[in-house]
Amino acid sequence: MKLSFNVNQRDVTVDVDGAEPLLHVLRERLKLTGTKQGCDEGECGACTVLVDGRPVDSCILPAGVVAGRQIRTVESLAGPDGQLAAIQQSFVDRFAIQCGFCTPGFLMTLTALLEENPRPEETEIRGALSGNLCRCTGYSTIVDAALAATGDDQ
Amino acid sequence: MEFRSAESVDEALAWLTELGDEAQVLAGGTDVMLQHMRREITPSVFLHIGRLDTLREITANDGMSIGPLISHRTLATDPRIARSMPALTEAAETVGSWQTQEVGTVGGNLCNASPAADTVPPLLVAGAVVELSSTGHRRNMPLDEFLVGRRSTARRSTELLTGISADAVSPGTGETYLKVGRRSAMEVAIVGLAVRLTVDPDDTVTSARVAVCSVAPHPYRATAVELILEGSHMEPDVIAEAGRALTASASPIDDARASADYRGRVMPHLLERAIGACLHRARAGRKGL
Ligand code: FES
Ligand code: FES
Repeated sequence: MKLSFNVNQRDVTVDVDGAEPLLHVLRERLKLTGTKQGCDEGECGACTVLVDGRPVDSCILPAGVVAGRQIRTVESLAGPDGQLAAIQQSFVDRFAIQCGFCTPGFLMTLTALLEENPRPEETEIRGALSGNLCRCTGYSTIVDAALAATGDDQ
Repeated sequence: MEFRSAESVDEALAWLTELGDEAQVLAGGTDVMLQHMRREITPSVFLHIGRLDTLREITANDGMSIGPLISHRTLATDPRIARSMPALTEAAETVGSWQTQEVGTVGGNLCNASPAADTVPPLLVAGAVVELSSTGHRRNMPLDEFLVGRRSTARRSTELLTGISADAVSPGTGETYLKVGRRSAMEVAIVGLAVRLTVDPDDTVTSARVAVCSVAPHPYRATAVELILEGSHMEPDVIAEAGRALTASASPIDDARASADYRGRVMPHLLERAIGACLHRARAGRKGL
């Protein structure tokens, strides 16, 4: 099927199987490889993207579902000049990245959270992140980075 | 595989009439995609119904009407659900992650008929009735008749689940959903239990509804337990007897998450806690708290 949607402020049309996971369409056809493929079964959140502002696991989202919708991936966070978004800079400053494989997913979930609620409590942050797994950091630095991005930690 | 996205309920029903079980209805796709990727299902058409906004409405009166496309995230956060069906709110909060709650729908949860479907016990204790539509025909069926086995429902292949209605809690009624899992987040229930109790001012139980998931091929209402509780004052020996009856009603299996024996043992404790929570809420509701 011909599938049209908007990704990172760009209208795209691709010829896909509607049952193909959105993750594959993003990575293989649109070469947006910032979004990662971890478990491929909706458990780890490495593939999190925003659909109309809401976080979803793109590995188990049939591409046909997103016709006409707005998708945001990690590539949209930094400015055109390469200036990192506040949440990204906070991850760098707080050492919230080790191997980095989980990072795009965490950043997208946190972007959705901070848009919905700019000053979340730590418990809300941990709750929002329950679908994002990290094998490296032990999570504390990630939660610290999120708190720092809310301004509560200063 | 062909992917069709319906623009109206009538269009979806016409396609179902044409395709029957060649079509796999898809709402958010969380369960369907996993089954497809594991080749557990091989439909020739994915019939996407996620754009049918008329199936995404909530109306809250004495009776609740919940559109089948309502997401778990909406169930977990909508104040009308929290007020009228708090056990459903609690159940939806425990389903998967934020990412899967956004996509997964209550109708999908019912039609997928997982033994561990968290939203089913709260709907069973709320006396839920499902509406099934096909071209030129519509029928209503109590949810407990709709669920017929493990991953099996009474839905005909030409039918679409188009409505869910249920009773809201009233003053003097308290309900809760409690779940045992291995960790607090993203866990499939080892046992899930919903209880709705109506008590009169001297704490006599005038109505009891009890439903469980993850302990039988499909979630079910434990009517034997309800009969023991009704008319009682929830004395310790009554609660103990109800707990034994609950365990006796189940047919749990051993799996990677827990043994059948553990499931049987944990049920009476969960029931006792749930009864305490219901009583507390029923009293608070009567005082208008
Ligand atoms: S890759 Fe999608 S949730 Fe793990
Ligand atoms: S930094 Fe390695 S998985 Fe999170």
